Amino acid sequence: MAGASAPTRAAVDEAPGIELVARRRLLISPVDAFFRLQPGDHALVKEGEAVGRGQPILEHFREPRTLVVPGASGEGDQLIPGDRAAPLGSRGREGQHLDGELLFRSGGRWRIAGGERPEPLESPVAGVVHEVRAGTGVTIRSTANAILGQTALAGPSWGKLQVATGPDGELRAQHVDVGMAGSIIVAGARMDAEALTRARAVGIRGVVVAALGIKEQRDFLASERRGRAAVHGLPPFGILVLDGASRRPIASPLMALLEAIEGGMVAILGDPPALVIDDPSILLPSPPPDLVRVRSGPLAGAEGTWAGLAGPRRFPAGVTLEAAFVRFGGRPPVAIPFGDLERFA
Amino acid sequence: MTTVPRALLAIDAGSATTSVALLGKPWKRWRLLGSMAAPAGAPIGALASTLAARLISTDPRMAVELSVSAESIGDLPRLEAVSSPPQTLAVLGASRRAVGLLEGVAARTPWRIRTASPETHDPREMTELALRPEVAAILVGAGDPPGPDERGWLDDLAGLVGAATRRRPELRVVLAGPVAARPAWAEGAGRPFDGSQERIVEGPPLGMRSGPDEPLREILEGLLTSRDSRHTAVRALLSLADTIDRTVELIDVGLDGGLRAMASPGIADQGPAAVAVRTAQAALVPRDIDEDDVEAVLAWTTGSLDRHRMGDRLMDLRAAPWADVSGEGARLRLAATRAALARLDALSPDIAGMPSPDVTIVSGGAFMIAPARATALAVADTIRRPGTTQLAADHARLLGPIGTIDDPDERRDLVADLADDLLAPIGSLVIVANVPTGRRQAARVGQISLDGDVQGRHDLVSGEVAFIDLAPGDQALATFEFRDAVRVGHRARRVAMPVSGGVAGLAIDLRDVPLRLPERRDRRRAALAAWGELAWPGDER
Repeated sequence: MAGASAPTRAAVDEAPGIELVARRRLLISPVDAFFRLQPGDHALVKEGEAVGRGQPILEHFREPRTLVVPGASGEGDQLIPGDRAAPLGSRGREGQHLDGELLFRSGGRWRIAGGERPEPLESPVAGVVHEVRAGTGVTIRSTANAILGQTALAGPSWGKLQVATGPDGELRAQHVDVGMAGSIIVAGARMDAEALTRARAVGIRGVVVAALGIKEQRDFLASERRGRAAVHGLPPFGILVLDGASRRPIASPLMALLEAIEGGMVAILGDPPALVIDDPSILLPSPPPDLVRVRSGPLAGAEGTWAGLAGPRRFPAGVTLEAAFVRFGGRPPVAIPFGDLERFA
Repeated sequence: MTTVPRALLAIDAGSATTSVALLGKPWKRWRLLGSMAAPAGAPIGALASTLAARLISTDPRMAVELSVSAESIGDLPRLEAVSSPPQTLAVLGASRRAVGLLEGVAARTPWRIRTASPETHDPREMTELALRPEVAAILVGAGDPPGPDERGWLDDLAGLVGAATRRRPELRVVLAGPVAARPAWAEGAGRPFDGSQERIVEGPPLGMRSGPDEPLREILEGLLTSRDSRHTAVRALLSLADTIDRTVELIDVGLDGGLRAMASPGIADQGPAAVAVRTAQAALVPRDIDEDDVEAVLAWTTGSLDRHRMGDRLMDLRAAPWADVSGEGARLRLAATRAALARLDALSPDIAGMPSPDVTIVSGGAFMIAPARATALAVADTIRRPGTTQLAADHARLLGPIGTIDDPDERRDLVADLADDLLAPIGSLVIVANVPTGRRQAARVGQISLDGDVQGRHDLVSGEVAFIDLAPGDQALATFEFRDAVRVGHRARRVAMPVSGGVAGLAIDLRDVPLRLPERRDRRRAALAAWGELAWPGDER
């Protein structure tokens, strides 16, 4: 890096200043898992109710539609928007489902969100139902620890965690085998669309990966939509992206956490994007406080120890940035722009 | 500020970075003693302590005089502005045309917009939009009387929005037209609208040809916090325009939105006046990146990234806007800034149509890190207003925090003290339109003579951008002489104007207004690369 020169000892020994580096939170607890309810979807749980992993919590229609039915005179005071239109399983004269959700009344007619082919959604975590809002969502609070990611696609899903490759590895389609079926795999730095499709096909329940490109995300989501529209639907599958879109290795503190919980039951949530660790008895490793990671730039992925503030420095493209000294192994400290660093907590 | 302190902290907590500036009054006037920015979420106390340590090591006597120490700096008075992430506004209308009119108005506000009409969505989908947790308000409009395309669906729309207000008691609603007067509103909401509900605000109805703008924008902006830095910065801009007695334009591009404002000094007994457009659509990188966003940035790049790689880079830029700032990252950031500036310019035709301001201030992280000439070129590429303006940067991000001072006299006094420190001069930008084109490319079309702190004469070539060294603080009279009449504010063959220096010097832009780039990608990249070579250090990519 041009402009990044070795500092004097006095400069390195200055005040730490590590708190100025962006802090990345590794774990959260408790977790408020949010599950979207579309208008017409039916919550199967009530607030305050305890739910177990795998328990159906809501039911949504795979073929949603809006029905228009006349409202009986005088009923306006009893029924309000958001109520169920009729008991579950009710059907009209033409055989259509009437057990939808009242949207609104206009001109004496109710608009009802209903549909065909109801499908249950099972809770990926155990917890207590914190909130149920018709047409909006169900929130389940779990006291488990969860590793925060940046994005989650599809899901939710759960399974045993299996580390399939190293933090810098890239899982190719030919390396995805049926022996991983039923598990959530850690797929290293990046995974391509072909490997994702194969993972889903062999029955893998989810993927944890450092980076997933915009093309892979779009391809996967398009495939997901097609699969959901198919006759038999799809088994649960989720992708948790830990870092972003450009290829980079999984950070060592995250990898240490994932290795510590390997073999245990985990769940991928969509909102918040997180990997919930089911077993509270696992001792989770915490990173050293002076560990910093270069998240972008020419040294992206490198990890070192904090060696103090470097002050404003000139970097490539003629930009002057606040920088910090980072020591990689036994080598002299290198000045890295503040913004390119992250620390863990 | 109720008492007069001798030092204070000016804090601009943005979406991407937090900036802290240390202001002090060592003698009779306030001065900027130092500033520093770190990724958003960095503790303000740590930033302030670092600034204090730098002051103590540079000028310990001043630190003692101002009672600034690493331990006590956290106790200093603060001027604090915050950039809030955009909230989502559901824009609903009874027809696609009505939604289009409303969207045109809402786009010129800091709201993030989601639209739906019965012509594009069914009632279930529209209800789903209104009930989404991220939707903080609904804008629903209709003509008065409703247009022929609205009549069939207006009752359903009134019932739908009324029901949404019943189901989400926290939801704010702006009624642009007689929507609540429909009987279906009472059916949905459970009671007729009588104007007593504070969260439901009535606005002007839709016009048939053009949408209502200023009154409706004021209502929509009124629903948001007034401490937002893009709101308070306009107040500081008014004070600045009045203090320096110049028209001043502020262009701010941030992670979550942009601001363009023009302030004029007060005349006679009238105070200063400003026109401002704040919009979420001028965000550096949109929250949901689509193909158009990727193409818009690619159009300004000279590298060989394909669409997918560019999409990846933009996603990473969105997720960590403070990262990857040097090298190619700086160029990518400025390409994204150009795309955002183009959107901002398109959404502020009222300001774009005004004469060139005396001073143009750029603000926002993307401008702060780029070389001065690259910043000047980015502005010249996108804000194509013929005329001359002095470019400067709000380098310490002081405008937002200063604007939080409610008392205009107190604010004006602080701005008057800080005027020299507040702005870092980039240089003068002269954009010449209607430049005669020669038969040959690169034909000489005129010349410029400088007379003042710097003397000299330079040839001017059609279609070029020229940078002439003019150091910060230098003043000169620039005399342009062309073969034929050109437009630099007004039409003439010979134009003389005062210019002032900056880090980038004097930039003269003789390209087309508006800028016409070649359609073919390779030619466009070659043209951009040729101009970029003038602005970026050649050997540092």
